[in-house]
Amino acid sequence: MGVGDYILQGILAFFLGSELFSVFGIPVSINIAMVLAGFLLGIMVGATPGLAGPVAMAISLPLLLSSFGYHASALLPVLGFLIGIMKGATVGGAVPAILFNTPGTPDAYMTTLDGFPMAQNGQAKKALRIAHFSSASGDTFSDLVLFVCAPFLAIIIEAHLDLPEKTALLILSLSFIAAVIGGSPAKGLISTGLGLLAVFIGTGEDFYPRLSLGTDQLARGFPITTAVLGVLILGAVFEGIDNLVREKRETGSFSAVPESGDQVLHWADIRRLMPYISRSALIGTAIGALPGIGSTLAATLGYTVGKSRHQKRKSTDDLDFGTGAPQGIAATEAANSSVSGANLIPVLSLGIPGNAAAVFLILAAESIGGFVPGPAVFKFTTDTVNPELVIAFGLFTAMAFANVLNWTIGGLFMRSMGVMIRIPKQLLLPSVLLLTLTAIYIQETRLEAIWFALGFGVMGYAMRKLEISPLPFVIAFILGDKLELSARRAFSASGNDPFFLFSTPIATILMLLAIGVLVYTARKRRLEASA
Amino acid sequence: MDNRSNSNAILGGLCVLAAALVAFVWVPLDVDSGVVEQVRRRVQIGDSLAPVTAAVFIAIGGLVLLLVERRVPGQPAFTLHNLRFIALSAAIIVVGFLIMRFTGPLTVDVVNLLTGSELQYRLLRDSAPWKFIGYFIGGIFVVTGLMAQAEGGITRKNLGIATAVVIALILIFDVPFDDLLLPPNGDV
Repeated sequence: MGVGDYILQGILAFFLGSELFSVFGIPVSINIAMVLAGFLLGIMVGATPGLAGPVAMAISLPLLLSSFGYHASALLPVLGFLIGIMKGATVGGAVPAILFNTPGTPDAYMTTLDGFPMAQNGQAKKALRIAHFSSASGDTFSDLVLFVCAPFLAIIIEAHLDLPEKTALLILSLSFIAAVIGGSPAKGLISTGLGLLAVFIGTGEDFYPRLSLGTDQLARGFPITTAVLGVLILGAVFEGIDNLVREKRETGSFSAVPESGDQVLHWADIRRLMPYISRSALIGTAIGALPGIGSTLAATLGYTVGKSRHQKRKSTDDLDFGTGAPQGIAATEAANSSVSGANLIPVLSLGIPGNAAAVFLILAAESIGGFVPGPAVFKFTTDTVNPELVIAFGLFTAMAFANVLNWTIGGLFMRSMGVMIRIPKQLLLPSVLLLTLTAIYIQETRLEAIWFALGFGVMGYAMRKLEISPLPFVIAFILGDKLELSARRAFSASGNDPFFLFSTPIATILMLLAIGVLVYTARKRRLEASA
Repeated sequence: MDNRSNSNAILGGLCVLAAALVAFVWVPLDVDSGVVEQVRRRVQIGDSLAPVTAAVFIAIGGLVLLLVERRVPGQPAFTLHNLRFIALSAAIIVVGFLIMRFTGPLTVDVVNLLTGSELQYRLLRDSAPWKFIGYFIGGIFVVTGLMAQAEGGITRKNLGIATAVVIALILIFDVPFDDLLLPPNGDV
């Protein structure tokens, strides 16, 4: 099979999957319905302050696995649904940010700066249209970069990296994530170390499961769902309730501002916004391609760069950034939305998750089986069919289809979601907590899983209070086993060379980079502290 | 946040101590093989290397906090309020799940006592309404308890919302699926 055949097979696998129903004799694939359902759910979740894409992905996963089973035919509908959520949540986050000055997702914070003033000036609909157009543009650009870059990167890695280099690359990824997430490399290292320690409990090659304290409970290790959902979701829920307790904040009622002026997004507006959108899309894509750097940083950088350009080029009657400038919304939304596609570059080409949404995609793929994200996916075998490659192109098709949905119905659905802000957090968060614990239990069917998840949730809460990012913990937990296996094989293949991580020039460079990035960020932090 | 806070130093010290305990006490006592092992004249990586590496990550992080980030401004701290809050939240969840675990079997015992029948919860754990009893009561306890914690008291409205939430979860997780078990039915 040639490259074109693989691409065609992927497209057909997506559009001609199991038939759900037919319209005028034309079969509609379940994959199409799942991407649509995920996308609409994602917009709803994104538009609800206190919820975010990963929460919906976490809760949906056990239901999806139960509905579609654990065979390769489940991959496209399940992953398609999760991709739909990921994309929808990014768009939906702008709704409460613009209408109510409350970002639905953390990366929509910068959208409040110009979106809310525009809404206060009676331009809410126009602000939402700008946010949607910019978000969809950034997302589409980022996906195109993913489609082109991920296969090439994977082929290069597979051709040039052997076991020592792959081990060094995993160490570099962990070190990079530890250094850049959360601002403190020290806390990033602690979070990574805790994640590694947790995943090593109850595993290993000896007959006795290591670090299990002689108990049956620890001998089976911590289920991945308990660690990931506990630290990420339960920890966030605890923090959310704690904030409510502390602030004693009342939800209050929202005064409606009457619409005024033109609400339509004209070509002239688009032409004016495009320089901001294109710059931010480039920034977001570049940041998204690096594992661990989130969309919040992309939004901040996109906004800052846009603001600097606006200061130089604005005419006298243009509003400044922060006072209701449409360019501010465009710069922020294009940047944070272009992260989501590019974030899948390290997932698909290296098997390394870069953000929480990617963690759930890997979790789903691992649970179902038959698709292991990593460089081996992009083996263009000509004599036999590589089914993983067909799935990869099927996923690209799902992403492109989600983009089509975003351009067509996304804007309309997004603008109708203003009502989600009215769900009070004090009622929502406890419900999300029970929902998450129930989702964990039906996957593990033992109360131990609840106790483990609760323990990880408490840990996630403490980490947030101490400003230790939980994301390095989760990524280390997912990569820990892979790192150990890779190191064992590399050590063995190098003839038991204790310096196998420095045995080739590429491995040495990767290891030096791993150390360098930590030293550089620690030094930078020290300089910032003494300034 | 306090500019003169020494919470980074305390956290760093605790991390170094914890890492030392893991590497020098827990790993040697609770892992069968060492960092490297000789098996049939071949040297291979033992089970201890990975957790020791994790401890090294924690120790380096702790040392950087102690030596480099000791005096950074705006250090966050884990306060007594945080401890009280998380202890109460965890207690509500633990009690709620214990209620979930034992309410169903207890109800069956009471029914047996009143009617003289010899029902067993284990045999009824996949039949309505028995399978919902524990989840329904325990779930309402958890949701209402956390809402009360956030709002400073229990209200009738919150109790109603919690009931609606639990019914919705039963409809989502149990009714459409034959192969899923709600808590605590996988354990009894």
